[in-house]
Amino acid sequence: MKNIAKKLAAVAFVVLASSTAFAGKGGSATNIRDAIASHSSDAIIAEVERAESLGCPDCIQLVTNLTEDNRYEVREVAGWWFAKRPVLRDQLIVGFEQDLKSGDTTAVRNAADFIGASASLKSLPALREAITRDVGEDGKLALVRAVKTLAHTSGNVVLTTAMADRSPAVRAAAIKAWRDILDQKDGSPALALLSDSDAGVRADAATVAGAMNVTSAVATLENLVVNDADSTVRSNAAWALGKLHSTSSRAALTLASGDKSSLVRGVAKAALAQLH
Amino acid sequence: MKQLMKNFALGTTLLAAVGGCGGNDQASGPLGDVDAVIILQRPSRNDMGDIFQYTSYVPTTPSGEHARLVKLSPPTADGTLTPICCDKAGAEYANIDISGYDLSFDAKDIVFSGKLAANQAYGLYILHLENGAVDKIPTDPDRDYVSPIFLPGDKIMFTTNAVVEAGAPQHQDEYERGTTIQIGRINKDGTSEELGPRNLSHRTFPTLMSDGHVMITQWDHLGTMNAGHLMFMNQDMTQLREGFGKEGTAASNSTLKAREIAPGRFVAIATARNRTIQAGALIDVRLGTVVTDSKGNVSAYDKMSEATATYKDLTPDVPHGNEPSAETIGRYYDAFPLNAKDKPDFLVSWADGPVESSVLGSAGLSANFGVYVFDTEKGQRRPLVDDPEMWDIFARPLQTREAPPIVASSLDENLAGAGQTLIGAMNVYDSSLKSFNPGEIYGVRVSEGFSSEEGFPRMFGTTMFEGMATLGVARVQGDGSWAAKVPANVPLRIQTVDTFGMSSFSEPVWFSGRPGENRFCGGCHENRTKTTVIDPGITDALAQGATVFNKSNAVRSDRLSTTYTRDQIVGVAWDKAIQPIFDNKCVSCHNGQPGAANPTYTLTDGVQTLSWTFDLRGGALPAEWAELGGGDAGFSASYFSVAGPDMEALEKGGFMVTAGTVKQYLLPEDARNSEMIKKLNPVKQFPTQTSERAFAGNGHMAAQGGTDLTADEYYALILAADNGVSFFSRENNPHRTTY
Repeated sequence: MKNIAKKLAAVAFVVLASSTAFAGKGGSATNIRDAIASHSSDAIIAEVERAESLGCPDCIQLVTNLTEDNRYEVREVAGWWFAKRPVLRDQLIVGFEQDLKSGDTTAVRNAADFIGASASLKSLPALREAITRDVGEDGKLALVRAVKTLAHTSGNVVLTTAMADRSPAVRAAAIKAWRDILDQKDGSPALALLSDSDAGVRADAATVAGAMNVTSAVATLENLVVNDADSTVRSNAAWALGKLHSTSSRAALTLASGDKSSLVRGVAKAALAQLH
Repeated sequence: MKQLMKNFALGTTLLAAVGGCGGNDQASGPLGDVDAVIILQRPSRNDMGDIFQYTSYVPTTPSGEHARLVKLSPPTADGTLTPICCDKAGAEYANIDISGYDLSFDAKDIVFSGKLAANQAYGLYILHLENGAVDKIPTDPDRDYVSPIFLPGDKIMFTTNAVVEAGAPQHQDEYERGTTIQIGRINKDGTSEELGPRNLSHRTFPTLMSDGHVMITQWDHLGTMNAGHLMFMNQDMTQLREGFGKEGTAASNSTLKAREIAPGRFVAIATARNRTIQAGALIDVRLGTVVTDSKGNVSAYDKMSEATATYKDLTPDVPHGNEPSAETIGRYYDAFPLNAKDKPDFLVSWADGPVESSVLGSAGLSANFGVYVFDTEKGQRRPLVDDPEMWDIFARPLQTREAPPIVASSLDENLAGAGQTLIGAMNVYDSSLKSFNPGEIYGVRVSEGFSSEEGFPRMFGTTMFEGMATLGVARVQGDGSWAAKVPANVPLRIQTVDTFGMSSFSEPVWFSGRPGENRFCGGCHENRTKTTVIDPGITDALAQGATVFNKSNAVRSDRLSTTYTRDQIVGVAWDKAIQPIFDNKCVSCHNGQPGAANPTYTLTDGVQTLSWTFDLRGGALPAEWAELGGGDAGFSASYFSVAGPDMEALEKGGFMVTAGTVKQYLLPEDARNSEMIKKLNPVKQFPTQTSERAFAGNGHMAAQGGTDLTADEYYALILAADNGVSFFSRENNPHRTTY
């Protein structure tokens, strides 16, 4: 209860301060500054979006600062704002590419997120180089995120490198990103990850194998759908087998349709119905 | 249990507070024949500001409560609130968030959209009310499936970010940076998943009508059109047509979460696209002739037409835009009709105070939606449930309902061809939006749309049009008919064109068709209140044979210009199709040197003053212009001179013209009235290119003693205008480069 008065006061203040903008004139540097002061990512995002096409020199430094915010959604909207201002974006990219070369985990994270959110395809070589450094889990996750957002096959090596990373989170993010790359045709990187030590990675690999029609994965998936200890892995494997339509999967899916997990049973039954 | 007790206490308190205001007796009121009400409780959140947000995942409240479906029985403020999902479904459901649900026709099952963990997507699940068991419907584990509804025939419709077009990315919403969602359906047992054709932006909130059709909210974004409208479609996602809001009938920028009150009559939320937490005013939409039966029930099924639709504002004090709502006014999240009186009663979800994401976020608050019975005649809300940590939403009676008929499919690959959609009209001159002179329409130009998801920059030009690729022009026959076979599953737009290739009318929205779908219209936005028998078989267009576009079956990324001739041009890449014309024939005069050939205008915002002189050279914009929003996306001087600055950016920046005139020499979608086109005076394009001029005289080049443009060059300029005057096109796709 002790914060209620303060919160209500903040509401009144923001409504008053924003009245001009709400009348239809769009955002302003003042609005962005107030939103930043509130520490609310929702408020910051709303005000940066409102300044989408605003000629606002005072906004530039404010939004630049947001590229280093600790919250991804804030860094993302900052990158989006600069994507619509390529000249400014390219000026910032110079520094961010340097961060990819020599920055610490946080600097790499911020740089990669800016490159992704601002659609800076020309920075793909810098992303490729960065993934070879020990940039920490957050840095690598951001590199993978950037490549996924850019969705260009020139970023494939970032993903394949990340698939061999010691962090399960990085490996999972990488295999999930793989199928979202434009014109990605080969789903075989999923094959090796079906035997990953981490259940989350195996589950994501199973999804990719089914979605990208990796027929060579059928036998491994049949094993997973019956024997994997994790119900999400078994469920995703069943879904993938349904996509792959191999009649050889009938026995495994029949077993899975009696799985102890309802998550698995329903998927397995539907997959059975899709076999040729 | 502690939490439930708090709910009852609060509900009772609120009921007592309004008890003296003339509220109905619950037993005989609108819920008098209802034994129980189903309610979705989601942990409160503030990251669902825009109406297309579907990925928000907040599994628990600060006190550790989870999303759940609950049953309130009896449906009174002191009724018993019982969790029905997913407390009995197993440990895998411990952290579930539920985003939406529907009740089966026999009231025995609930289909809901749930997300089990942060690293998973929203999937579909069936809850069996008899025993509380939950079955998963198999959907792509890495794609979101939300807003499920039951269809007759044991099918379920949903919206999803899964992609129907193989190898193509899902379209992106450039504003909220989200992946668009489209319509799909699947059998209840998880087989036969079908994804519908794609809109360029979102399609969301499907709802089933008593005649068997489905109503959705479609986001229409094409140039200046940027609004959410209600649309109808068949259960198999074909025959999409306008419902409400496009032809100047809308109550707001966005109309969403429609539910049928009676045939032809709907309650819906009227609001803005963003920052409103998907909440707004309640409107009562009547699409056809209003009829009141002997019991006082009002319907509007006869002669349903978007053009003649009307609405009543049920909550006149609630903002329709995205300004913060006032204390005691608030906003409505959803409404479920309890009867069809002229002034009906609803189960509503409502939150008090400033329901606006920026304001709430700044204060560290979330909207607090609670469930109320809303008597629109008296303008009173009677509280049922309001958990202060939860959004109490989507309340509806736990009752059986009649299943509507299964609507026949319009899919016929014999007519449309495999992988294609047949589009056309019986008589293009039959239009309620435009009067055409007999014979003035040569053909119908069809273009496909795309957005930044294909690897393009965030802006295609200062005019805010999306990317376009022209598929071709189908000739209009003697009886006014036309027909074309086009790629299925892609956003399409059409324009009528004259013999000079100039548009005389542009359809202001995208549409799309499924493979094998036959989308034949009576006319070109014909009067929808009159009876038109759609029988394409009797048209000259099909007697002659439909024009086949994309004969080579090229995939999306390869549908681009190989040369910029009338018949080969696809996208009008400014630097490739237009700049060479200027370089060869224009820049000797129009070179940025102030004078009669190069007028200058000056702008100021009170701090800085900027001057621009007409310049058809291809160089980059000077830095001082490049720093202005809308003017720095890599556009050239010639583009900026011809297309003009981003007018919205200038307005928002408070710029004023202090000298000269800011002009757009090419007008988006309107080559015929564009100053550049009129001055150049283009030649005839169709059926063959000749030297006949569109306007009086021989044109600017002859008057200046310059070399005339070729017919193909004229057509490129015309197409640049009619396609929205964008700078970038698929021919510029940076994804075609290896990095």
